[in-house]
Amino acid sequence: MLARAHAFTIDGLHTRRITVEVDIRAGLPAFTIVGLADTAVREARERIQAAIRNAGFDFPARRITANLAPGDVPKAGPGLDLALACAVLAASGQLDGAMLGRAVMLGELSLDGRVRPSRGSLAVAEATHRAGLELLALASASAREAGLIDGLRVAPVESLRSAVRVLEGGPPDPLPAPAAHPGAPRPADRCPELSDVIGQPGAVQALVVAAAGGHNCLLSGAPGTGKTMLAQRLGSILPPMSRREAIEVTRIRGLLGTPVTGLASERPFRAPHHSITAAGLIGGVRGGWAGEVLLAHNGVLFLDELSEFSRPTLDALRQPLEDGRVAVVRSRHSAVYPTRFMLMAATNPCPCGYAGEGEDCSCSPGDVARHERRLSGPLLDRIDLLVEVRRPRVSSASEEGRTTSAQARELVREARARAARRLKIDGLELNAQMDARALRSHVHLDSRAEALLGMAREQGALSCRGEARVMSVARTIADVEASARVRARDVGAALTLRGRRGRAVRHAA
Amino acid sequence: MALEHQARDRRRLIDLLSLEDGALIAALGGRRRKELSGAIADVRGDRRPRHANAAEICIHDPCYPSALRGCVAPCMLSLAGRSELLEALSGAGVVAILGSERASHYGVTVARSLGRGLAAAGVCVVSAAREGIGAAAQEGVLEADGAGVTVCGDGLEVATPRGLAPLRRRIASRGCLLSELPSDTGGRRWGPIAAQRTIVGLASVAVVVEACDTSADLFGAHLTRRAGRVLAAVPGRITSPLSRGCHALLSDGACLIGDAGDVLELLPAPNGVSRPRPTWTPTPRTRLDPSLAGVLERVAAGRDTPEELADEVGISEALSALGELELLGLLIRGVGGHYLPRDPPPAAGPDFDRHGSG
Repeated sequence: MLARAHAFTIDGLHTRRITVEVDIRAGLPAFTIVGLADTAVREARERIQAAIRNAGFDFPARRITANLAPGDVPKAGPGLDLALACAVLAASGQLDGAMLGRAVMLGELSLDGRVRPSRGSLAVAEATHRAGLELLALASASAREAGLIDGLRVAPVESLRSAVRVLEGGPPDPLPAPAAHPGAPRPADRCPELSDVIGQPGAVQALVVAAAGGHNCLLSGAPGTGKTMLAQRLGSILPPMSRREAIEVTRIRGLLGTPVTGLASERPFRAPHHSITAAGLIGGVRGGWAGEVLLAHNGVLFLDELSEFSRPTLDALRQPLEDGRVAVVRSRHSAVYPTRFMLMAATNPCPCGYAGEGEDCSCSPGDVARHERRLSGPLLDRIDLLVEVRRPRVSSASEEGRTTSAQARELVREARARAARRLKIDGLELNAQMDARALRSHVHLDSRAEALLGMAREQGALSCRGEARVMSVARTIADVEASARVRARDVGAALTLRGRRGRAVRHAA
Repeated sequence: MALEHQARDRRRLIDLLSLEDGALIAALGGRRRKELSGAIADVRGDRRPRHANAAEICIHDPCYPSALRGCVAPCMLSLAGRSELLEALSGAGVVAILGSERASHYGVTVARSLGRGLAAAGVCVVSAAREGIGAAAQEGVLEADGAGVTVCGDGLEVATPRGLAPLRRRIASRGCLLSELPSDTGGRRWGPIAAQRTIVGLASVAVVVEACDTSADLFGAHLTRRAGRVLAAVPGRITSPLSRGCHALLSDGACLIGDAGDVLELLPAPNGVSRPRPTWTPTPRTRLDPSLAGVLERVAAGRDTPEELADEVGISEALSALGELELLGLLIRGVGGHYLPRDPPPAAGPDFDRHGSG
């Protein structure tokens, strides 16, 4: 007798559809699993035999062959146990196989027949819904995560017996009570607040522009001027994630095995130490570990002490910054992961850190030049905003006039809404994502702005990419100030915020 | 005086350089005395130039600048560029522009404008081939289509620092480069110090633009005094350490320089006729939008960062005005985001007016 069941296997960040076929015929008792199964899948034989017997069913003493199709995709992980067991029961006539063809089974079996949760339930639920199958049966502990997908019937099952009951049309097991909230939410007055930062109107404006358009930003300044503080407050002015973004972030977390109690509510904020390698930053997903740029998807990647990062690590960032995706090539397979994050970075302008603060800098011109060379031209070219952060003067220590997080959030929300309305037709959401064609169609400069940009081009101050980035930042500034056209003042501000590149005079008077 | 005390080591170098060959080898040769004496005897015979692009001029040559002969002079000069400039050096109107390598952009701007003004008035400008004041002075000379003389502390073929190589090439095409060392020699630690004495020797007036109160920066001034030439200095902000050396010189009696015209007045006039004031004038800043002009004035008054301007005009206005003014060439931006007004380059773009018909 032949029976078929549907399942999914996890491959990095993607899911692959697997068809489990079980054939039982007369012969010496044997149970073989074929189809490029890895060790964990092959060990399922022992688990399934014990589970089926302990659940009260009969394990047929005949020749059983299980095939995991397609045969050229490597299958990994114990999540196929439940599908295999149900297929064996259906093939031996102990289960009515009609429903099996329209359901997906996900779960590991323990020896007593209980179903244990598997990684990646949200991803599998998404894939099930996309494939048009109507039921997903999985361990109760992961059922809440899978239930985040609308339009899919999720059946939590505690044990193999319950799974059989569900497949024969019976009711599923009840959902377990939601886990206790991991700590109360932070009281409002302890959240990072933008007005905590003293006297940096330029940097705050840059932060608002960065958040409104999704632009990358580098803060350069002496120690203690508030660069790290500013970067940490970026999260407080970004709008909350949309449902789609939250599902993507939850999915990534689920695939790594992080316990998921519900939809992710806060944007990811990753701040790796500067000793990280290129593989640690960019690398793919394997066995519960992912590169930082993937963990920062739909969030913020903050690189403090940018000049301390090794050159290969920083060069590895170029592709994700430019394309919004990272291609990981390994010996057996290659994969492309989408990754859209905002880059925030902080650095000192010279080795001692005090260049630009008058007398305090003790570096020779050679030291400063060497320090500047660590940040390569191509990397800097992809950073849209380069803001110098200075020690504030005494008089700017007054409380009033400082932008609060709430005010900034409102500005950012409205600017993003204007941009999203305009870019909907191209399928984009943020100004920073505009490519050359989108810039041509959506960014309308008035004549004064055109002349200004033309002067910058003639003087050789901007590369072609630089010009495109200045136009997108100018469009964001115009959105923040609620202007339909991009004016000369927006282009001027965008040029100032883009910062100075290349050699220039060393010390301030 | 503190100045004398600090200059002691360098003075020893200059005294050594003034020795004749035989005495120099005896003083420093050590165990290689005999070998070096023998090598010198061979060289005296032939004077083939070592490199095609550089002419070598011996102290006994007629075209060796006469001004140098009076003081501690290098025996041999390598020259790249236009050798006819050496004749101009024998006249009286040569100005040396000295200053610190780690100049601020105030100093660099002043050095550039002095170089420009003096070159426009037909005066020959001599400076060192080093970053900071030396390079800025020659850039100013080139901007006014003039011809300056640059003295390098290393061989002419070897350009250190490498960032100055393009500037040296441009100087070689319009003016001339001098060096005491053979063309293919690398730098020596005493090279820049020895070059200072050449620079001071060639000039009749030396202007110190920016210098810390250290023996390294003020060595040129010390040499000027010793050679009996006219010493002048440019003042700066009293809070800046880079102006402390200049202020020390001024209080010791150096002449105060406010612009190129002040330098011209110090030069001995040829045939008793007074020199014309420089003819190059910056492009008049008419038709500048009033808000931009307001920001420019505030920057000139000292509010040179967006933060300081934000108190008066608001941060977004400050950012946009600074960006436009920098593009128009009226401001220059330095490390730390401090802005400084500058004269726009001669070939400025079309007049840009925010609200005009442009």
